[in-house]
Amino acid sequence: MAWFSSARSAAVRKEPPRVPTAVEPVVRRSLALAALFDEIRGRKVTVLDLGSAVGSNVEFLSHYGCKLYIEDLYAALASRVSTGEEGDIAGPEFFAEFLPVPEDTRFDVVLAWDLFNYLRRKELAYFGEQLRRFTEPGAMTFALMSYHKQIPAQPFRFKIQDEEHLIYDRRTAAERPSPRFVPSEVTGLLKGFRVDRSFLLQHGIQEYLLVRE
Amino acid sequence: MAWKRDDQPTSSQPEPTPVTPPRPAAAPNPAPVSSEPPRRTERATIGPSIFIKGDLSGEEDLVIEGRVEGKVDLKQNNVTIGKNGRVKADLFGRVVTIEGEVDGNVFAREQAILRQSGAIRGNITAPRVVLEDGSRFKGSIDMEPPRETGTSSPRPAESHRENVRPVESLREPARAAEPVRSETAGVKASA
Repeated sequence: MAWFSSARSAAVRKEPPRVPTAVEPVVRRSLALAALFDEIRGRKVTVLDLGSAVGSNVEFLSHYGCKLYIEDLYAALASRVSTGEEGDIAGPEFFAEFLPVPEDTRFDVVLAWDLFNYLRRKELAYFGEQLRRFTEPGAMTFALMSYHKQIPAQPFRFKIQDEEHLIYDRRTAAERPSPRFVPSEVTGLLKGFRVDRSFLLQHGIQEYLLVRE
Repeated sequence: MAWKRDDQPTSSQPEPTPVTPPRPAAAPNPAPVSSEPPRRTERATIGPSIFIKGDLSGEEDLVIEGRVEGKVDLKQNNVTIGKNGRVKADLFGRVVTIEGEVDGNVFAREQAILRQSGAIRGNITAPRVVLEDGSRFKGSIDMEPPRETGTSSPRPAESHRENVRPVESLREPARAAEPVRSETAGVKASA
């Protein structure tokens, strides 16, 4: 059996280490999402989804009978801000025009997913002003912040599997530095919002449920 | 022949989406009571070379492969915007299926379906909305809660296994070259 063992071990040694592919979706438990759905159950709410349109999320949210706005923040930023130019920050005008909704629109829930990780600090502050404009006290924002040094070069595509689980669908293997916002920084930049609940998950993501004051 | 009317769809034409809601296979009562008049099953098609500016109304299903600007009002019937269809109008229908491009609001009494090739820039109001993998959407979706079926609280727990690609930014719909006006008996166009 010696020949068999050695041949086998040699074959094993030649195998490259398995690198997880970028496109493999991963299911993660989401405590903040569960808390959010507990809050909105039984109410007809107006939801702003800042991610890309995902059919399964629309189908899921249809069970709540909500009004859903889908405005892809990252796509809007990517199409506006020229790449490779440092300091080309999207200003207040951009964020004022980003939400083409009637002035009297009020969102009860904002699904920000991990998009705040892709905003510069000033941009987050500008965007916070717009969120304040279109929300009333008690409105909730669901956000995910990364504590990793690097994050994917593009936001994840999140799919709601059920009330307590999210599918993280990574779009690219490329990475970029993470802003690594800390809680005090988040509330400092998003003026008018307080952290209602926050959960640090094992995979280095901090979930936030921010509430408009 | 710009306008086609076919009582029996052929394979060369776009397939309509599920038209009627599921009905029981065998009804115990031979004469079911319905509050709505029976729908006609004919289907009209606006061909790819047709441009209609104005309001469309009628009592049969409609497939739009051309360009329409104005309003499409077929509340009792199904409306399909084919892959070549470019519509700048508010759409009213029973089941509204989008395979082409729509710049306007969609009002579906039963269901709105945005197919993979479809794009909507506008708002959707429908009890059920389906966005397919790869479709492009920018706007709002107003969904009524489903009718009570015995369960008290909505708790969707099934896994959604479909893969949905990111929605691309909407482009301005391409314009057809020659405007033409047309009218049929079933579907009327009024400027």
